Amino acid sequence: MNERALQMRLGLAACAVALFLIFVAIPNWVSSPSNVSNIVLSPLFWPYTLSVMMGLVGLGLIATCLRLSANGAPLSIDVEDRGSAQLRMIGIAVIMLVSMVLFARVGMVWTSMLSYLATAFLVKTRHPKTAVVCGVVIPVVLYAFFAHVAGVAVPQGNFVRLP
Amino acid sequence: MSFIDSLAAGLGLVGNVEAFLALALGIVIGVIGGAIPGMSATMAVALTLPFTFSMQPITGILLLLGVYKGGIFGGSIPAILIKTPGTPASSATILDGFPMAEKGEAGRALGMALWASCTADLISNLSLILFAGWLASFALSFGPPEFFTLILFSLTIIAGVSGESLLRGALSALLGLLLATVGLDLVYGTNRFTLGDPNMMGGLNFIAVLIGLFAIPEVISMVWNPTAHLGKTRQLGKSRVSFADYRKSFKSIVRGSFIGVFLGSIPGIGAAPAAFLSYSEARRKSPNKNNFGKGEVEGVAASEAGNNGVAGATLIPLLALGVPGDVITAIIIGAFMIHGLQPGPMMFAMNTSIIYGLFIGLIVSSVFLFIFGSFAIRGFKFVANVPKRILMPAVLVLCVYGVFAVNNNVFDIGVMFVMGWLGYAMLRCRIPAAPFLIAFILGPLLEDNFRQSMLMSGSDPLVLIRGPITWFFWGATALTVFAIVRAGIRTTKGIVSRQRASAQFDR
Repeated sequence: MNERALQMRLGLAACAVALFLIFVAIPNWVSSPSNVSNIVLSPLFWPYTLSVMMGLVGLGLIATCLRLSANGAPLSIDVEDRGSAQLRMIGIAVIMLVSMVLFARVGMVWTSMLSYLATAFLVKTRHPKTAVVCGVVIPVVLYAFFAHVAGVAVPQGNFVRLP
Repeated sequence: MSFIDSLAAGLGLVGNVEAFLALALGIVIGVIGGAIPGMSATMAVALTLPFTFSMQPITGILLLLGVYKGGIFGGSIPAILIKTPGTPASSATILDGFPMAEKGEAGRALGMALWASCTADLISNLSLILFAGWLASFALSFGPPEFFTLILFSLTIIAGVSGESLLRGALSALLGLLLATVGLDLVYGTNRFTLGDPNMMGGLNFIAVLIGLFAIPEVISMVWNPTAHLGKTRQLGKSRVSFADYRKSFKSIVRGSFIGVFLGSIPGIGAAPAAFLSYSEARRKSPNKNNFGKGEVEGVAASEAGNNGVAGATLIPLLALGVPGDVITAIIIGAFMIHGLQPGPMMFAMNTSIIYGLFIGLIVSSVFLFIFGSFAIRGFKFVANVPKRILMPAVLVLCVYGVFAVNNNVFDIGVMFVMGWLGYAMLRCRIPAAPFLIAFILGPLLEDNFRQSMLMSGSDPLVLIRGPITWFFWGATALTVFAIVRAGIRTTKGIVSRQRASAQFDR
């Protein structure tokens, strides 16, 4: 992908988001009282204004991209093996999703330990022993600080509860 | 309250071991955070923020200011030793710092970076003390139309100078403004984009958004390319900076400091342009201009003075007007809000002791920076060797705890993850994140001031051009847009002509 393609995609995406906001999101998800005396004071005015401006910015991006050559130099590819990189990206997304599910059920400390270790091994750390030690120590130290110093009610989960 | 009374009240607030320890600890954290390649001063401040919730307001804010100041200097260490700026503000330091490191003069370059940083920091702090109060008393006469035009001007300049193009910056700012509309309407209390979820009614949590935007994308980037950070660290070498070097560069340091102060006090410009402008001015005026770019110690001094001159000055619009000068002060405003403080002109009237306490703390921070910076230079090899693949998972866990601690709500962690992916997408698409965050913070203020202006004028739009202050900000906004668009057209023309030239060459 070169600069022109990126600019074009951004412009099209901005226009699509603006149209979605104007025709779907704002009419359905923004409510306004019926007795608003002036349009500029309505809760709808600001979202509509911003959406229209986003559409204009999108058109601006498309217009500027048309000035660029279609044969421009490709933007730098910063990774050698794209396939593995994409798999790792799916991996980190899964770690985040699973963590969200486990925080309340298993507890924040245990979930953090698992997510630390999963992330460290996902990126193939060269220090597996250090990773295991850090993966246990860091969540426990953070728990001790936030639960006992800052007074935060850290979720404990349904299985093993910490003091 | 007289000046002496205010000073005494401020001293009473910070004159304890806890406050100075927080400041010192902040500088240490900042220097380490700034020095680790791949972390940044912004990320260090964002990650430290949750630890300040349980502290006294002044102690927490001093800790964050320490991280800020330490982080800006810390960024120069990897810039000089491994040609990787720890913060964007240190990009100009590479120009002469790295060639000096290659010549075996890294110790001298780092020493000069520290001396210039501390001098500029002191000048910047004194400027803050001198101008913030004056600007705040002037801003007391601002009404909603004046604040509306001021925020509009700030957003325009932030959108224009943060990234490669005004349009991408504007897109980022518009996304931030749109996200800020989520929650209950400010006037009528009706739902906007809440999707019926009570968690969204108060709007999205600011800390979750900022940590998501500035820390999580770094974790995702590391997952995308785990070995991107590996680089060769240069040795410090035997040469050290001398007083003669400092005296030779003193003019450039002072000039750079004032450039930093001037640009830093304009909301949105930030440290990187100040560093480059200071560097180019030093090169233009120096008798050794031919050595610039080849390892000239004055070049390091000028760029470091430029970026550190900004550090105190960005607090001028923050404290006096309630408008953050850059991303880091946008995070620091979060610390004020969490402790129930609203920066702005009224703070000078209502919380004088905190303001003067901060001033005293900032002056002391320059001394601490000098002391801890000297140790940091020698200890860099340990910091640089922290394995990134051990550090980044720790950042992820730290983010989770920090964001949860704000409201004791797992929903905020979800918001942080979503914002992290959005931030990463923006990073890949070269859309700057700074306008997004600052627009997200200023969005409610912008809308609120606009609607208040309309309410007080009976919806007459002429209220927005009611006096010289609004004229000034409209004029400045128009001038900024004109300058940025002109620069953008020139850049596009340059790209097109380069592409044509390369196409002809290929034939």
